[in-house]
Amino acid sequence: MAIITLPYRYLERLTGADKETILQRLPMIGSEVERVEDDHADVEFFPNRPDLFSVEGVARAMRGFLEIETGLPSYTVQPSGISFSVDPNLSDIRPFLGSAVITGVSFDEESIVSVMGLQEALHWAVGRGRSKVAIGIHDLDAVTPPFRYIASPRTRRFVPLDFDREMSMDEILSEHPKGRDYAGIVKNFPLFPLIVDANDNVLSFPPIINGELTRVTEKTHNILLDTTGTDAKAVTMAVNIICTAMADGGATIGSVEINGRRVPSLAPSERTVSVRECCDLLGIELSAQGIAQLLEKMRFAAQPAGKGNVRVQVPCYRADIMHDWDIFEDVAIAYGYDRFPARISETFTIGSAHPARVLGGTVRAILAGLGFLEMMPFTLTNERVLYDMMQRPRSSLPLCIMHPISEEHTVIRTDILPLLMEMLQANRHRELPQKLFATGDVVEGLVTSQKVAGVSCHASADFSEAYACMDALAHELSLVYSVAESADPAFIGGRRGDVRVNGRTVGVFGEVHPAVLNAFELEHPVAAFELDLTAVPGYCVPSDIP
Amino acid sequence: MELTQNEKRLLAALAKEKEADALHLAQMLDATPEAVVQWALLGKDRGLADVRRKVTKKLEYTDEGRNYLEKGLPETQVLNAIGNDTTLFSLQELAAFKIGFGQLRKKGLITVTKGIVTKNVGATTAEDEAALKNPQPGEQRTQELVKRGLVKEIETIRNILSITDEGTLMVDAGLDLREEIGTLTREQIISGAWRDANLRKYRVDKLPRVVYCGKSHPYQRLIEGMRQIFLEMGFTEIHGGLVQSSFWNFDALFQPQDHPAREMQDTFYLKECMELPGCWESVKAMHENGGDTTSTGWGGVWKKEKAEQCVLRTHTTSLSIQHLAAHPEPPVKAFCIDRVYRREAIDPTHTPEFEQLEGIVMDKGVGFTHLLGFLKEFYQGMGFEGVRFRPGYFPYTEPSVEPEVWVDGLGWVEMGGAGIFRQEVTAPFGIRYPVLAWGLGVSRVAMLRLGLKDLRLLYRSDINWIRKSPVYRPERPKSGGEV
Repeated sequence: MAIITLPYRYLERLTGADKETILQRLPMIGSEVERVEDDHADVEFFPNRPDLFSVEGVARAMRGFLEIETGLPSYTVQPSGISFSVDPNLSDIRPFLGSAVITGVSFDEESIVSVMGLQEALHWAVGRGRSKVAIGIHDLDAVTPPFRYIASPRTRRFVPLDFDREMSMDEILSEHPKGRDYAGIVKNFPLFPLIVDANDNVLSFPPIINGELTRVTEKTHNILLDTTGTDAKAVTMAVNIICTAMADGGATIGSVEINGRRVPSLAPSERTVSVRECCDLLGIELSAQGIAQLLEKMRFAAQPAGKGNVRVQVPCYRADIMHDWDIFEDVAIAYGYDRFPARISETFTIGSAHPARVLGGTVRAILAGLGFLEMMPFTLTNERVLYDMMQRPRSSLPLCIMHPISEEHTVIRTDILPLLMEMLQANRHRELPQKLFATGDVVEGLVTSQKVAGVSCHASADFSEAYACMDALAHELSLVYSVAESADPAFIGGRRGDVRVNGRTVGVFGEVHPAVLNAFELEHPVAAFELDLTAVPGYCVPSDIP
Repeated sequence: MELTQNEKRLLAALAKEKEADALHLAQMLDATPEAVVQWALLGKDRGLADVRRKVTKKLEYTDEGRNYLEKGLPETQVLNAIGNDTTLFSLQELAAFKIGFGQLRKKGLITVTKGIVTKNVGATTAEDEAALKNPQPGEQRTQELVKRGLVKEIETIRNILSITDEGTLMVDAGLDLREEIGTLTREQIISGAWRDANLRKYRVDKLPRVVYCGKSHPYQRLIEGMRQIFLEMGFTEIHGGLVQSSFWNFDALFQPQDHPAREMQDTFYLKECMELPGCWESVKAMHENGGDTTSTGWGGVWKKEKAEQCVLRTHTTSLSIQHLAAHPEPPVKAFCIDRVYRREAIDPTHTPEFEQLEGIVMDKGVGFTHLLGFLKEFYQGMGFEGVRFRPGYFPYTEPSVEPEVWVDGLGWVEMGGAGIFRQEVTAPFGIRYPVLAWGLGVSRVAMLRLGLKDLRLLYRSDINWIRKSPVYRPERPKSGGEV
């Protein structure tokens, strides 16, 4: 999540309102105030609004929301005369480049922190950890245009940021902290992306690290911005968000020619939206004029366009406006979530419980009636518990998780009984008798179904108790079954039975094998049973797969 | 006032004796002295008897003391061995030398000059010997002997039981001393012998023995309560596989294929793949260019292989969208409370699997105000009276809202998320009306409702907790809070 630091002095100066008002209203545009300190607040914004990841962006939105200044903020772009070329060899590596020249920057501590914070947050939210977009900010006066974005041999050497010696790009990947963090993005490419100036000085090795040469300090007045990446839209958006934030901070934006094309434009995009559709979605009646006014509060330009439509100009920094409904959400936010009436729809429907859930409830009632206590173990387990400790041969049935997070949770359960044995183990210091059961989902192959298992642990637990419980459960479930001698190694030979229905083994019961008791550190006999609930007459799972 | 048979027997005995030692009474009543005292204490609580502790101290010789009583104290033995010109060296032969010599020096009865030991004038140990022969409690020389471990003090406690006037009155009024019967037998019931039987009366002021109920898990009961709210509101319950294709878990919900939540570190992937449903191409178009809607889509290239990869479902929304795809005609009101999986390390507030609750409403003419209405109704059904709404963000809803509920002692607590499914989500499945959707982590409510500080206890429970947690809990007083 993006947590943005808002220093009060800078925020109040840019917004033109006091911090109490701003902090009180901020959550209503979609944010969460995480911490309020003496001189700043830390506020979390949603990943779909990267334009709010800077003090400048927040101030711009709040000026609208508090109706200090509404409507579309306008940005002018002067041609800088600087050009940039893109090497065609980058087309399979990192093809897209965005750029701008930002002049008349007067950095102080707060604005430099804001820009660096914005850059980091954009790397996370828009750049997908720099893989999709990486942003470079350079001191323009340290280098000479025109600039070239090239695919360079990996042996090329330069001095990376925070180092005082030349390194090859391969060395940077293995030795520079940023190189190690982001090596994964480029390491498989034969050539590496590189930005150089007219004199072949290195500005940047995107997406890894800038050169030390163009380090930005409080003395920097003119900036060259580069964004590189794999997605043209995202590369442009990152430029737009940074340029508009810095323009709001007082800088002037200049365009750069990339392969003959002048960027950035910072011009709004247009959408015509329907008043009816907006009112239906939100459930309140608004006029075209009313919608336009609300949108102006959200810093759009909007005017009634006739035929029940509103023409909307979307600021160039709004990454989240993909669809008309995105505009309608802004109408709702401007209207105020706290002002909406809450209504219940009057359509009549009849509720119905899912048959598998109903069966689960029935099983719970039966086993509770037999004195069993319910447990709700995880469905994630491991083969040691599922098979080895139960003395059962390993099976290919359970699904293996590709990247488990611990040795405890590597497969999905195919049976519930082993997990109940674990529960007995966890409770072995508790008073006996202990009669436990669990019911729920198991997965065999890719198919989810339900099972129930029970255990009874006390000094005289035996085969006859297990059989009696299984018989009572089957009787109450109207399950007609026969019993065959079982070969399940989890139980003692001659004290175990298979539950058979229509020639299929659907359950097992008996006296748990002492070696299994030893494996679970249990000191008393355990009578146990497990039943596949798909055997219950009338079991059905309505399929929802279209 | 109900007395046990034993209390009555004791009172009857005491009525004769007035006051007696517990030992004596124990012999009379054929019981242990401890039991007799116990009965008397019960009588004391009722003002019928009294118990007095009498402590007496007695002196007794230790083995060492008894030895000296025969042979004389070590100092006496050494003193007696001193004659004229007795050398220190010769005294050292004596067994009693070490202690005796020390005592003599301490008491100033001898002088040693150049290895020759002489008695001082009038040196005698007679008084110490006298004290040893006849030790007296509290006497100073006796205390000295106690310190030297020659004599020890023995405390004896006697319990003197007596009857009060009230007790005497009760005995005089007559006590039923017939033999008591513990269990009523079948024969007694049939024969009518029960008429003369003196059934033992039980004490109701004592705690009963503990038996435990068989019952469902407290967390399951909480889930049942939530299901009930949905069923009462006319919702259909849905249920489905734990294993889902990435298509249903992510792509169908317009989650871009490069979304961070889809990465290996957040989601449990399986090596298996699943076939995609027929409509996959419209989902592809939606991601790439927005299909036939006003959306631009995410751009880029949508990869079918990525959508086929199986995952353990990360939310039950994967079931909701499948239910909608199978039932695209309004009205649809459905809910689901089921397990979902996130690749998270276990700690007190995170588990790799947990329950999620989800409700959806698809109907003609429903919109944002109805979403807020259902949310209010639902949260109030769960006992949260104060509900308020803030803008939120979820990748598959627009508008999105974060409901907050008022919890006494905690204030406004964020309680799940909600919104209207984006058209990019609904359009590929031919759904033409808005879908209101909301969800929350049930374990969060469980922590509040069951007073748990560690989520892991839900899944690896201490059975004592389940045994003691009552099946029925009265609804907590409705909490207020501004609305």
